[in-house]
Amino acid sequence: MISVEGVGVRFYFDRHLKVVTAAAARLRPHGSTKWGVRGVSFESPGGEGIALIGPSGSGKTTMLRLLAQVYWPDEGRVVVRGRVASLLSIDAGLLALLSGRENAMLLGVLGGLSRRGSRRALESVRERSRLGDAFEQPVSTYSQGMRARLGFAVAEETESQVLLLDEVHEALDHEFRAIVEQRARALVEAGGVVVASGHDHQMLERLCTRAIHLDTGSVRNDGPFKEVQQAYLAAVDAATDASATW
Amino acid sequence: MEAIVGSANVPRRPRTRFGAAVRSLLRSADLLRALTEADLRFRYGRGPGRFLRWLLEPFALVGIYLLFVTFVLDRSGPAPGLSLACAIVPFQLVMSTVANAMEAVDIRKPILLNMRFERKLIPLSSTLTESTAFSASFLIVVVMMAAYHVAPTLALLWLPLVVLVNLYLAAAAAYAATLLGLWLHELKPFLLSFVRMLFFLGPGIVPLAAASANSQEILRFNPLTGMFEAYRDVFLNGVAPAPWELLYPFGIATAVLFAFVPLYGSEQRQFAKVV
Repeated sequence: MISVEGVGVRFYFDRHLKVVTAAAARLRPHGSTKWGVRGVSFESPGGEGIALIGPSGSGKTTMLRLLAQVYWPDEGRVVVRGRVASLLSIDAGLLALLSGRENAMLLGVLGGLSRRGSRRALESVRERSRLGDAFEQPVSTYSQGMRARLGFAVAEETESQVLLLDEVHEALDHEFRAIVEQRARALVEAGGVVVASGHDHQMLERLCTRAIHLDTGSVRNDGPFKEVQQAYLAAVDAATDASATW
Repeated sequence: MEAIVGSANVPRRPRTRFGAAVRSLLRSADLLRALTEADLRFRYGRGPGRFLRWLLEPFALVGIYLLFVTFVLDRSGPAPGLSLACAIVPFQLVMSTVANAMEAVDIRKPILLNMRFERKLIPLSSTLTESTAFSASFLIVVVMMAAYHVAPTLALLWLPLVVLVNLYLAAAAAYAATLLGLWLHELKPFLLSFVRMLFFLGPGIVPLAAASANSQEILRFNPLTGMFEAYRDVFLNGVAPAPWELLYPFGIATAVLFAFVPLYGSEQRQFAKVV
């Protein structure tokens, strides 16, 4: 269901360290480049939850954006079979000036529904998101948790086989977290894949049986969640001790 | 990169290439409409306020230039208000589409960072958003025709073709503007001033015939010249537009599309990295 082969994503910077496109980089000399991830490979036949763990800047978000096809690989190959639902940014893909309803309509169509299907799903999204009257209010008035709830409610309507979560679920209240976990488990049982990243390892462990430890854009460890997590934490402890000694 | 939908709980893939093409077209139409509706609300708000703005904006512009033509230039000519409106309506479409397209990627940052969708539709969505305001602005032409007692003629039958060429020119400008807005972020005000300048480097304030013979030759290089004159022919002069008035803007728009659409195709892969 997911196949990642030697994938790399490169970022181009101008001389003011602003990210630019590849063509713009050619127009502006004295720039630099940096690989967000490089040489990453893994596969998942489906029916599992995969946690991406690692420190900030290790490439977790870049990897999730690759799987969501938000980024294209600059080298290697990514194959994702199945409809993808993603909550990858803190604003859950919502446009601040639009109301919850208007955002739900737009995200539904972007997520793969027809306009008619997206319109039909609006009441269900309103119910699932538990936003009440706030559903008609601009999203700029929402808390992070409310945004994540709306984004997740729309993602559920698109009947995806691959669910990508990037820390967004960590903004959710306990009640809605339980719902996310329940739905994610149901998706995995149905043969789908959940790929989640974040720093709340307890929640990740409940969602995922497998973990991939990313470090400076490369896979450092890939295996059962508990093993990879312990090795990661041991590496963090060792690094902390080394800097304390220094 | 490949994404294949292959599950029982999503619609089955069509069996034929024709079916796939139709499905893809319908999907693009749905997407374009959803992006445009969201853009309209984002830029113009909701309710009667936005319609009022669309209706009043061209009147305000014509009013300013009408005063300029009548009192400063002292060149009133036949139906100067209608002649101005015939230039302002097509210019506003191109100008507002360019302004929209330059911001089109930035304002869609949340969705660009969250999910995959056909990004080639973004400039088309900018064009459709602004063409809604454009259609409302035709009211000024009707009002001016009534004010100057200019009766509609059979030349109005050319209007759909003139509007289509105008939309095509705006869409081509939108593809270029979207990329230039990304590449030359800090030069956006200058780029907008350049487009605004095209109004004055064309027969915007006075008709082409009122310019000197030498100036006419130079002004014809501006693709907006043909558009302004075509609208004047249809509404004011009551004759069919001359072929060059439509073919030249069409040719320029096609050349811009040939240059920028392939570039856009490769650059759209980088949008999420730079927003």
